[in-house]
Amino acid sequence: MSERIFRKILVANRGEIAVRVIRACREMGIVSVAVFSEADRAARHVRLADEAWPIGPPRAADSYLRIDRVIDAARASGADAVHPGYGFLAENAGFARACEEAGLVFIGPRSQTIALVGEKTSARRLAVAAGLPVVPGTLEPLVDDAAIRREAERIGFPLMLKAAAGGGGKGLRLVASAAELVSAAGRARSEARSAFGDDRVYVEKALVRPRHVEIQVMADHHGNVVHLFERECSIQRRHQKVVEETPSPLLTPDLRARMGMLAVALVRKSGYVNAGTLEFLMDESREPYFLEMNTRLQVEHPVTELVTGVDLVKLQIGIAQGEPLPFAQADLVQRGHAIECRVYAEDPDAGFLPCPGRILALRVPGGPGIRDDSGVEEGDEVPSYYDPLVSKLVAWGEDRASAIARMRRAVREYKVLGIKTTLPFFERVLRHPDFLAGRIDTSFVERLGREKQAEEERPWAVAAAAAAIGALARRRAARTTPGAGPAPSAWRREGRREGMGGRG
Amino acid sequence: MIFDAAVDGQTHRVEVTGSKGRYTVAVDGRPLEVDWREVGGPFVSLLVGGRSHHVALEPRPGGYRVLVDNHDFAVDVLETTRDAVLAPRGPAGPARLVAPMPGRIVRVLAEPGQEVEAGQGLVVMEAMKMENELRSPRAGRVVEVHARELQTVETGFLLVVVE
Repeated sequence: MSERIFRKILVANRGEIAVRVIRACREMGIVSVAVFSEADRAARHVRLADEAWPIGPPRAADSYLRIDRVIDAARASGADAVHPGYGFLAENAGFARACEEAGLVFIGPRSQTIALVGEKTSARRLAVAAGLPVVPGTLEPLVDDAAIRREAERIGFPLMLKAAAGGGGKGLRLVASAAELVSAAGRARSEARSAFGDDRVYVEKALVRPRHVEIQVMADHHGNVVHLFERECSIQRRHQKVVEETPSPLLTPDLRARMGMLAVALVRKSGYVNAGTLEFLMDESREPYFLEMNTRLQVEHPVTELVTGVDLVKLQIGIAQGEPLPFAQADLVQRGHAIECRVYAEDPDAGFLPCPGRILALRVPGGPGIRDDSGVEEGDEVPSYYDPLVSKLVAWGEDRASAIARMRRAVREYKVLGIKTTLPFFERVLRHPDFLAGRIDTSFVERLGREKQAEEERPWAVAAAAAAIGALARRRAARTTPGAGPAPSAWRREGRREGMGGRG
Repeated sequence: MIFDAAVDGQTHRVEVTGSKGRYTVAVDGRPLEVDWREVGGPFVSLLVGGRSHHVALEPRPGGYRVLVDNHDFAVDVLETTRDAVLAPRGPAGPARLVAPMPGRIVRVLAEPGQEVEAGQGLVVMEAMKMENELRSPRAGRVVEVHARELQTVETGFLLVVVE
């Protein structure tokens, strides 16, 4: 592939990731083109971009997901390339193809690779062919107890019995030991029969308290493939990550090297190009199982950037321009430790309910080792139409303990008024003994919600005093004279008392 | 003034005295010496007996959302005595309307020479994200207007003189 230089890139996204890509463009001397819905006319990504084109009404389906409008904007603006960010059209093979057909470089893998790798079952087949472990089990339906017992012994306990025709949790049984197998199988089959009219089940290994660890990969058009180590993403709510870090406290150097090799093998097998991430589940025995591949930049890419010193967005653009990777695997090292907290406009005390609105005031932390990738500034609206991610707060430290301490310091400095955010939730996570010890798995947030955590001493008296002074100042500002109309005599008396130095 | 402040599920009696950034606040009878300095927008720097607190006050129905350092509180504030602070009383003479707290002038409703009623709005000020109408302390004629729209003023800034 011959090299070309981009003069202008259209960023087919919004929010913090659009800001992130626009910043990279500016640093590289590339003209950036934002697109925006009617709800985002004055959004930060529009303000920071060199050019901005409207693409429709607020609903994402009418704007950011409209392939035709984004392509029209790219053509009209004269862009050479399109960066999709994450979400919206980022993993849409049809969009990548539309870019290719319009003569635009899609900054990501080829459209046919997205189709191949992005679809879960074909990715699983590809992974098996490339020698990656997937969650062991059988996809052959089992018709009798003898077959179930045979498969169960092959796979080992604990395991999941799943209805072959199943879905929605019906016909699903967690089986802890062989002793439970026969009765559990009976219940699973009768449940499956009544729900689906089909009592066949299959067996899959149950991962107990699974952990979510992913590997970042980068591949150029010249056959060079590297991995940029792992990210630990086990802190999730509603199957969505909220805190990520690297290195993972779980991985040994050997395991890290092995998972990296597996990831590179899949990338080579699929002819994958540009940035990608392989997600793995790990059980308590630290055995990694391939789950899926994300064919785009990840939300949590900054933690990798901080420990490797690599700017992943600039690297994506360079690869899309046809440049070879500027380093080999042996050049890459992990230096220190990085943590990311996703600041969402959500109320953590109300089940993470989205909390859109206007940001009345904002104070963003800074100082050593702190990075804030934000899509908003003070006065901005967090619209209700899109993902409520406001900002990603990232801390780097020499080791895990200092990164955590630094993040706690930064969370304390971070002030957002006008909307609720997940910041108070991070306070709880960052001082939880299990988190500090690295004992984290995908059920951590749920457990945290149930636990009555030992509360830090809360300065409630200061809060009460501040509120009372605020109320006093407000009333004094709004005060009227008693001469301004009929006033109750008690009111006059109180006033006179204060006027004479009494305590009113 | 005395307030009932409900915070973290408990109601406390809070008595505030003082002005101009120096307050004594008795919370359930325990006095706190509070040095209060507004630092832009809803943010306030508090020194309470030598302890420094970064505080933000966001008005909400019934009171405030109060951020104290890394803690987030919802405080309901209910006044237990009627607020009645007398403006200049006594013999007729020029009445000076001054800014009761730092803030921004939103609108100026009076012009020199205008005849005004007691209690008539002269200036609208924004402070703590709330708009407050400042009213004429007495009936008379506006002789001086120092307030300008969009101007930021400190406590005690002379806004209007009515004579």
